[in-house]
Amino acid sequence: MIKIENLSVAFDGAEVVKNVNLEIADGEILGVVGESGSGKSVTALTLMGLVSKEAAVTSGRIFYDDVVLASAGRPRDMALYRAYQGSRMSMVFQEPMTSLNPTKRVGGQVEEMLRLHASDLTGEQRKERVLETFLKVGLKDAKRVYDSYPHQLSGGMRQRAMIAMAVILHPGLVVADEPTTALDVSVQNQIIALLREINKEQKNSMLFITHDLNLARRLCHRVAVMKDGRVVESGNVEEIFESPKEAYTKRLIEAVPSRIKKEEKAKQRNVTAEGVKAEENILEVKDLNVFYKEGSNSLFSGKKKKPVVSEASFIMKRGETLGLVGESGCGKTSLSKAILGINKDIEGSVIHYSTRPQMIFQDPYSSLNPSKTIGWLLQEPLRVQSLADKTKAMTDKDREAAAYDMLHRVGMEDKYFYRRPSQLSGGQRQRISIGQALITRPGFVIADEPVSALDVTIQAQIMELMRSFQEEMKLSFLFISHDINVVYQMSDRIMVMKEGRIVEIGATKEVFDNPKEEYTRQLLREA
Amino acid sequence: MKYLAKKIITLIMTLFLVSVAAFVAFQIIPGDVVTSILGTEATPEREEQLREELGLNDPPVKRYVSWVGDVLKGDLGVSYRYSKNMNEMMPVTELIGDKLPVTLWLAAIAVILIIVAAIPLGVFWAKSKSHAMDAFMGVFTQAAMAIPSFFLGIIVTYLFGIVFKVFAPGGYVSYQDNFPGFLGYLFFPALSVAIPKIAMTARFLRNSMLTEMKADYVRTAYSKGCSDRRVMYGHVLRNAMMPVITFLGMIIAEIVAGSIVVEQVFGLPGIGRLLISSISTRDFPVVEILILYITFVVIFVYFLVDILYRVIDPRISNR
Repeated sequence: MIKIENLSVAFDGAEVVKNVNLEIADGEILGVVGESGSGKSVTALTLMGLVSKEAAVTSGRIFYDDVVLASAGRPRDMALYRAYQGSRMSMVFQEPMTSLNPTKRVGGQVEEMLRLHASDLTGEQRKERVLETFLKVGLKDAKRVYDSYPHQLSGGMRQRAMIAMAVILHPGLVVADEPTTALDVSVQNQIIALLREINKEQKNSMLFITHDLNLARRLCHRVAVMKDGRVVESGNVEEIFESPKEAYTKRLIEAVPSRIKKEEKAKQRNVTAEGVKAEENILEVKDLNVFYKEGSNSLFSGKKKKPVVSEASFIMKRGETLGLVGESGCGKTSLSKAILGINKDIEGSVIHYSTRPQMIFQDPYSSLNPSKTIGWLLQEPLRVQSLADKTKAMTDKDREAAAYDMLHRVGMEDKYFYRRPSQLSGGQRQRISIGQALITRPGFVIADEPVSALDVTIQAQIMELMRSFQEEMKLSFLFISHDINVVYQMSDRIMVMKEGRIVEIGATKEVFDNPKEEYTRQLLREA
Repeated sequence: MKYLAKKIITLIMTLFLVSVAAFVAFQIIPGDVVTSILGTEATPEREEQLREELGLNDPPVKRYVSWVGDVLKGDLGVSYRYSKNMNEMMPVTELIGDKLPVTLWLAAIAVILIIVAAIPLGVFWAKSKSHAMDAFMGVFTQAAMAIPSFFLGIIVTYLFGIVFKVFAPGGYVSYQDNFPGFLGYLFFPALSVAIPKIAMTARFLRNSMLTEMKADYVRTAYSKGCSDRRVMYGHVLRNAMMPVITFLGMIIAEIVAGSIVVEQVFGLPGIGRLLISSISTRDFPVVEILILYITFVVIFVYFLVDILYRVIDPRISNR
């Protein structure tokens, strides 16, 4: 049994985990749910003895069965931890690509567990055991995986290999920190099923950390909700979902996009499969093929062309949101780049009836220039516009006024004007990205996973903001997401892509109630 | 195979361009070999005669083409300036062949010193947890990097040659006579070449390791129960070496191509000194071949770096 008793952890005197009490019984899966900054990962890393050296345990104790692993005021006992890490407790991380050593073969990395903790095995036996475990975690081509480097495997396979590494020694505790967040929906489900299966078979305790309440509900026996370093509520999964006691838990549950809520505030719009009725076209895409050049940029060998989008045809109306869904690698991003003219290697036609289409990107952390102020960033599209079109030139004063205006409209105060992106939260940055995209008053905007990097409560705010802009400016959004529920909430129509082809397009409700394609049905089932 | 063919074609094209550039440069700089052989007092008739003999009166393009033709046939020509004896001209091959081993061995010893010293030093520095050690290493490497190699050469000569008397300054031992003695003499010039580069490489490796230490896979390694040592040598070092190898490649190319100063200070008859004297006497055939040689070495070292990269990082060959 694992017991975390009154644990507080501080970085440079600032407590990020405050008096946390958690218990995980043998064979139990405990979910810790919270948004970024809630202290859930620090709690897990402290339990594992992996939290960075600057962190100090300021109160409480951590028990593994009867052994005290960590205790306030005692320096971290690395030797003790090393006897537990790997063999008695192990961890699965969020990003399987970076969590595996890129220059070592996967088999060797898993085998290192045995090398470290099962030194009585011969090399032959070790390899056999690794291959066996690979098969158990669903890596059918075990021999190939054993000899592969991480980059030669798919995301799902890498995460399976990580799980194989974590469970090969049948540890009493497995900590999984957002193990499915970096993966496609269908793979997500497989990984959750795998974790459940392992829990049944090996009877280990599991600590499952996630921001996604639905995932926790599907996997965990009990759930603890964390906010600002504290556990605000904990208990049986169904109880928490059915009758949350705390206001924050209620908010979290409500913020999760779901289909029912849309019905409540359903847009009173007349949508057909061709789009919002009685509106003019804003975009026409016809027989579009997009290619991707393969091979090195050599003088001598010709480049191979690989089609990534084939025969895409659709139209978009003014003021509508078209949701684009599909798994990673299906051509969503290539299609949007072709529409914006960033990718020029295309066949077919793209006709815009609006000027200056814009884009909102997924990762607000890397898509804003970190060395500029927010005010400068907001003005930049206007500056570029006036360079391209002299009739739209503005004075410095007007431009600044427009930037302040936009800052207010995305819901932020004056004081942010002279701050830099690093001083803002993820949600604030995404507000700025939206402001940047809309300040030139475009008619058409592509939003590429605009809320995927954000916490659920922030997600809801950003989606609301986008909707209000849409109504006001009669914007058309091409809204790309892998999250079916988000798309459902935002979109008038939905377009499903698979392997570079548009397999289905239709009014949102129509597609959800009555999917025509098997692939669409599969996507909906998984969500 | 395709990769190799590509590399070879690039090499040939580069050598061609460099040879043209060197030839053009020789046309542009004032003064010619005739004045340098005969002196300023010679009669115009004598000068004209020598020019005709050396073929300097042909149009430049014709001279370049015939030179390239000879080189391709394996005839690197004869030096304008040096001669074997009164009656025989000095072939460039022989002239360079004599001096090449000196420079190559000097560079080889320096490179070995750099690798042997910088890698443990960089790892040690990255591992050092005390602030005092960190600060000391910072100052120490900074100082070593700042000292110019000719001055370092003087210090090394004074310290090891005059104070400790480990070698005899100026007492160069030819490799034909006594090979171990030759290597022993080269050790100290190589040391003065190597010291600043050791400091740079160690610093670079340390920074690279500290960056790698923050990578996710390091946390994974710790979660398996790896010791600090195992994480360092088993996981981090190899990944941290990637940028260091590029850096080493640049340094090696620099050493091979830039041995001039140290050869001067230690009185080594290497190609660096030959290059300087040949340029000042406008000894075109010698200079041209030396420049091509240096170009070749630099490209070859980069080629090796590329190969090494592919060996260390499996992701590269797939790109």
